[in-house]
Amino acid sequence: MPGWFTIAKWEFFRSGLKFDARSSAVLIISMILVIAASYAASLTEMSMNQKMYSISTTEPGLQQILENDQRFESRVVSEYEASRFYIYGDDLTIIGNNAYFGDTSKSSAAGSALENTIKEYREAVLTSYNDVNNSHPVWVTVHDIERPQNFQLLSAEETAGKLEAGAEEKQDRAGEDEYGNEGITPESVSQGPSFIPPGDVAELDDHNGNSFFERQTISTPTHFSPPIPFTAILYAFLFIFPIYFVSQFYSTSIMDERTNKKGELILVAPLRRRDIVAGKTVPYLVVTILIETIITIHILGVPGDIEALQGILSVLSAIFPVVLLFFALSFFGAILSRSFKELTFTSVFLSVVISGYLFFPAMFANIHAISSISPITLIVRLIEGETVSLETYMFSTIPFYFVALSALAFGTLIFREEDLFTQKPISDKILDCFELFLSYRYGSVFLLSIISIPFVYMTQLMLIVMLFNLPAPYSVIAMIVLSAMAEEIAKSAGIYTVFKRGLAKRSLKNAVRYAVLSGTGFFVGEKAVAVLTLAPIASSAFGSVMTMGTLLLIPLLLHISTAMLSSVGICRLGSRRYLAAVLLATTVHSAYNMFILRGIFSG
Amino acid sequence: MQEKTFILSVLIQLFIASFSTFLVIGLTSFYDPTAMGDMEIEGTRVAVVGSEDDRLYHLLEENSANTFLYSEFQDAYTDFYERRMDAILIVPDGPPEGEEILNVEVYLPGSEITATLVSMQLKEPLEKFEQEVRGIRTGRLPGYSPIEINIIDRGLNTSSTYFEFIYVALLPLLVFTPAFISGGLIIDFITEEYERKTMELLLASPASLLEIVSGKILMAVAIVPLQSFAWILLLKMNWIRISNPFHILLVVTLTGLILVLLSSIIALNFRDRGVSQLLYSMILIFLFMVSYLFTNSPLNLVTRLSIESIGYLESGIWIFIYSLAVIALYVVMRVTVSKNTITFKR
Repeated sequence: MPGWFTIAKWEFFRSGLKFDARSSAVLIISMILVIAASYAASLTEMSMNQKMYSISTTEPGLQQILENDQRFESRVVSEYEASRFYIYGDDLTIIGNNAYFGDTSKSSAAGSALENTIKEYREAVLTSYNDVNNSHPVWVTVHDIERPQNFQLLSAEETAGKLEAGAEEKQDRAGEDEYGNEGITPESVSQGPSFIPPGDVAELDDHNGNSFFERQTISTPTHFSPPIPFTAILYAFLFIFPIYFVSQFYSTSIMDERTNKKGELILVAPLRRRDIVAGKTVPYLVVTILIETIITIHILGVPGDIEALQGILSVLSAIFPVVLLFFALSFFGAILSRSFKELTFTSVFLSVVISGYLFFPAMFANIHAISSISPITLIVRLIEGETVSLETYMFSTIPFYFVALSALAFGTLIFREEDLFTQKPISDKILDCFELFLSYRYGSVFLLSIISIPFVYMTQLMLIVMLFNLPAPYSVIAMIVLSAMAEEIAKSAGIYTVFKRGLAKRSLKNAVRYAVLSGTGFFVGEKAVAVLTLAPIASSAFGSVMTMGTLLLIPLLLHISTAMLSSVGICRLGSRRYLAAVLLATTVHSAYNMFILRGIFSG
Repeated sequence: MQEKTFILSVLIQLFIASFSTFLVIGLTSFYDPTAMGDMEIEGTRVAVVGSEDDRLYHLLEENSANTFLYSEFQDAYTDFYERRMDAILIVPDGPPEGEEILNVEVYLPGSEITATLVSMQLKEPLEKFEQEVRGIRTGRLPGYSPIEINIIDRGLNTSSTYFEFIYVALLPLLVFTPAFISGGLIIDFITEEYERKTMELLLASPASLLEIVSGKILMAVAIVPLQSFAWILLLKMNWIRISNPFHILLVVTLTGLILVLLSSIIALNFRDRGVSQLLYSMILIFLFMVSYLFTNSPLNLVTRLSIESIGYLESGIWIFIYSLAVIALYVVMRVTVSKNTITFKR
């Protein structure tokens, strides 16, 4: 029996034992309470907007309509009282057929709420007539048509085009050639459903948004809504919540081993470190995947044929890297933090960061190409019945796999007594990782730089998400500076470790040697990532910031020389001035990037 | 150590805040086209396939949409594909007074943000068109009389979605986050002492268990109003008006007390971090769900206080009710502590 399996079995049964009879009973009771309360809440409007606006009216008939909306606090008054509504603190008054409101934004909002309520009431009344042709005479059919991507916003096309050696322009032209000008009819281009007039009111209900998760394509003008994929956020919640819960248990279990040296016993057992880590991780991973499978089946339905099964499997394959990343980072966090308090903060912080990375691009799932950096977008598309190409899958999940695996690997490196059972500061533990890695036979600054690429890459994608809402020129400038900084930190981290921990003599010759190694390593890794994954967003301005420089020699020189700046800086000024050295390198690096991208600013 | 924790928690909240601004901007622009500035709206061009005298075409024009008339779909499609047009709308054939359904075909650029912009722009004229056709056709429905409410405009235009998002979702979320965090914090404070076996050491000192627990509770609760106050200030700096800030802080502090007392009772009973945290999150979800059910739940109370939709008497009564809950929980906490103290001495 392999070693990791024993640990896994032990972990699995032990965590079951942590709940004694009393705590399980209390947990089950609280679970029942939660379910009951959620059910009761789902019967309401699910909003805490009760009695926000107060309305007075002279019409008793109208008050009944208003009472159906929990936002209003309404009362029937005399005409005299109604005309002086603002004295009585009302936001709005209705006299006869006219609604009057005060001069505050709240009153104005009340007016807009009233408008919607009346509209809803009108639709409800009209729907009760079983005569669609007369009650809902106008329908809108929406067809979504893909056009070739073109980011006019920053006129980056020329820049990107030049840098990508014109590959893209060719593609564009190919696309144009494909469609001739001959014989285009609405039928030949429409990809959406063709319009079938609804037979009766029952069908009307089908169209009007009962199917919450489906993109609405046929509707009446009142129910016609812009393509807002906020449903995507619900998916993200649905899929991420269980991951968050289970990873809490996982990191607590790792932390448990560390408090009071409980884990000493496993460490002295005749097992390899990676078996211990795998054994502790696998049970939680399996449980989470099981939960995610149940959720997927709940959404997509029990698979009847091979195709449906395939759909479920592809959703799972999109969520798997997310689970892996959550677990890897909570594992690493559990090893770094010194107390439960710190662990709580690390895990909250990490989940906020990862959720942000997953959620915000997914908000634009149907709108913008950049949204595909989040695997949740893939899930949304899969559930909506679209197919996702392997290229897109690689683009959004490869960074997750890389970061997760290297975080696990680094965590395993310091899964040893000196780091587990001592109160070392976090920065020292991270240095320990690097030091251990560098002292391996094949470990070198060169490889370390390559490994750091996915981290840098994810940081930069995160930056895109965060900076997306800044106005155009500033967002690009901030992006350039911050991503240059991330790259410089990644390149110099290894060199810093070498000098700080005395792995090599602090001499100018060594500084130059390591700078060349680290710079080249980073360059090689960067190009590999660019080739692998950046194709889907290469045409956007942000994409060109990241991939720029397929002009080969200059970027190589740049990476080496900026790495040299920080390396010589550390060597000469001492490791305390590390930050200053990195800042200097960042300045040079961003200056170069700005120079390359000057087209964006001038044109 | 403590101040580091505090700084960390503030940092995390800042992070959430930066996302909330993202949400605000996102939501406003989706629901309230005017908030996005007129430039982008004017920039969208709609190709209308139909003839000069189509009623829908005139409605679109009146609505200041940038419309261009085409007689052939083919030409419109070519311009759409080459990005001279952002959307195509095909005007329905039938007359408004006819019997059959009028179907408007709309072609939108998939996966582009213009699709959203154009749809928002098309919605109003389409609704007007629907109402006009209904004006003719609903006469055929037996016994139907439309309700008409004329809203007398005073020049202000705040959409209710935006307003409700700020005061119903954002404000309560921000001011209550510190209370939620403190509830989790106290569990760590207490269970850590048990798991690291430092509680015995502490108890060997002159401090009693009640003093130790109360000290921790005080610390956890004290940081709640401070952080919430910072949030209110931050929102005010963003020109979001918040009335009754001190009442709000009072409600938040009371909620913080309720959550922290609850968590400390849980932690004292179970002494295991994992179990206690799980139970706490369960109870938090339960309380959250329950607040949907009645008016003047703490979250709703904060909303109503911030927009002056509640009188002093009513809010006072509810603050009193929550204070009673705090006192009740305090008594339970005292009982739990004394029970634990006896076990220890034996």
